[in-house]
Amino acid sequence: METLLLDTSKFIELNFQAVGFLFIVGFIGGLVSGFIGSGGAFVLTPGMMSLGVPGTVAVASNMCHKFPKALVGAIKRFRYGQVDIKLGLITAASAGVGVQIGIMIQRAILDRWGQAGSDLYVSLSFVAVLVIVGGYIMMDAVKCARCGGEEKPSSLAQRLQKIEIWPMITFKTSGLRISLWFTIPVGLATGMLAATIAVGGFIGVPGMIYVVGASSLVASASELVVAFIMGMAGTVNWAMHGMVDIRLVLIILAGSLLGVQLGAIGTTYVREHMIKSVMATIMLIVAVSRAIAVPKYLVKLGIMDVSEGALSIMGSVSFAFMCLALGVGSVIILGAMWKGRRVEVPSRA
Amino acid sequence: MAQPTGGKKPVLKTIIYGVVSVALYAAAFTHANTLTELFSRGSFWAAGPILTVFVFSYAHGTFASNLWSCLGVVARPRAAKRPAARPQARATINA
Repeated sequence: METLLLDTSKFIELNFQAVGFLFIVGFIGGLVSGFIGSGGAFVLTPGMMSLGVPGTVAVASNMCHKFPKALVGAIKRFRYGQVDIKLGLITAASAGVGVQIGIMIQRAILDRWGQAGSDLYVSLSFVAVLVIVGGYIMMDAVKCARCGGEEKPSSLAQRLQKIEIWPMITFKTSGLRISLWFTIPVGLATGMLAATIAVGGFIGVPGMIYVVGASSLVASASELVVAFIMGMAGTVNWAMHGMVDIRLVLIILAGSLLGVQLGAIGTTYVREHMIKSVMATIMLIVAVSRAIAVPKYLVKLGIMDVSEGALSIMGSVSFAFMCLALGVGSVIILGAMWKGRRVEVPSRA
Repeated sequence: MAQPTGGKKPVLKTIIYGVVSVALYAAAFTHANTLTELFSRGSFWAAGPILTVFVFSYAHGTFASNLWSCLGVVARPRAAKRPAARPQARATINA
């Protein structure tokens, strides 16, 4: 029997509810990741913190579960012919640089405006990106659904692909050829967002779709490659500082490895615009969640005056909306899979 | 759920990997505190959590994959796959 006592400032006592919560959230987060290429982190990290896990341990443990989950999802979707490894690797390279830029910006804001200012910056960036990008994807998904669900590269991507600036890269799986220079902003933005809100895919996947011109299937699948590389690099860093709680990681993995494969399978049941719909829905609900959390930081900075009680309620509502985002996403995915299974598959000649 | 034609359910594989997965989890959690403390020592102990998750992901991931197959949840073959629009052919030395 274990006689060793853990450092309680870093490692929480695990009870049955905590294990159950982490397993279920891990499963749903995995399901969403397997389908849209990202997500889960924004509920898992605050979820762990709501169990009493310190912020850095929560971030580190989430990252340590994210990269093997992304690997398993990427392998599964690679077998379905959806992963463009080259696209994933190239995006990951500039994303790595983007992470460093994002960290530098965060440090500068922390120095200038303190913790509350930094948290406000994070929340406002979150809301702005989610609303603008999520709103755009939603409009596009509705348009795609209306015109028979056939995806076409965006006009921006088509124009960028025609511009010949060395080096031009051919992406076979995506079926496109574009200058390396146009993939760099996508990667940089992914890294910067990952450093800020821990979910780079909310820019990475739309970036690959609308800037580079990959399909939703290929973009969401290739994002898993990016998530694997960045997740592993980040984990090495955190683990070297001793911040990973392996118990939490393994419990979350138990659920997410089941979920990610189900999500990956799900992509073969649905029309491509569904990936956009699910992504946009989740992003918009999370935007509401983060917007509700903004007053807390305004109060800390003395810009707004709200009672403690009201702030506490807002905090709970904000967390509830985050869980709702994942919940709604998974219901849409499972519903689409259920509907899709009843459609006859035409026999191949 | 749709099954690929002639697919046999990998029951034995599911059971084997399930047992391995349960054994790994049991081993990890009966020594949870020791493992957690060791892996949080930093520097080269960083390899601990990383190698652990690779091992668990292989065992549990394979179990999960086979479990879904046994439950009949498999990928649907895409009907008449549209060929991806290939970039225009052009004379190149390095693409």
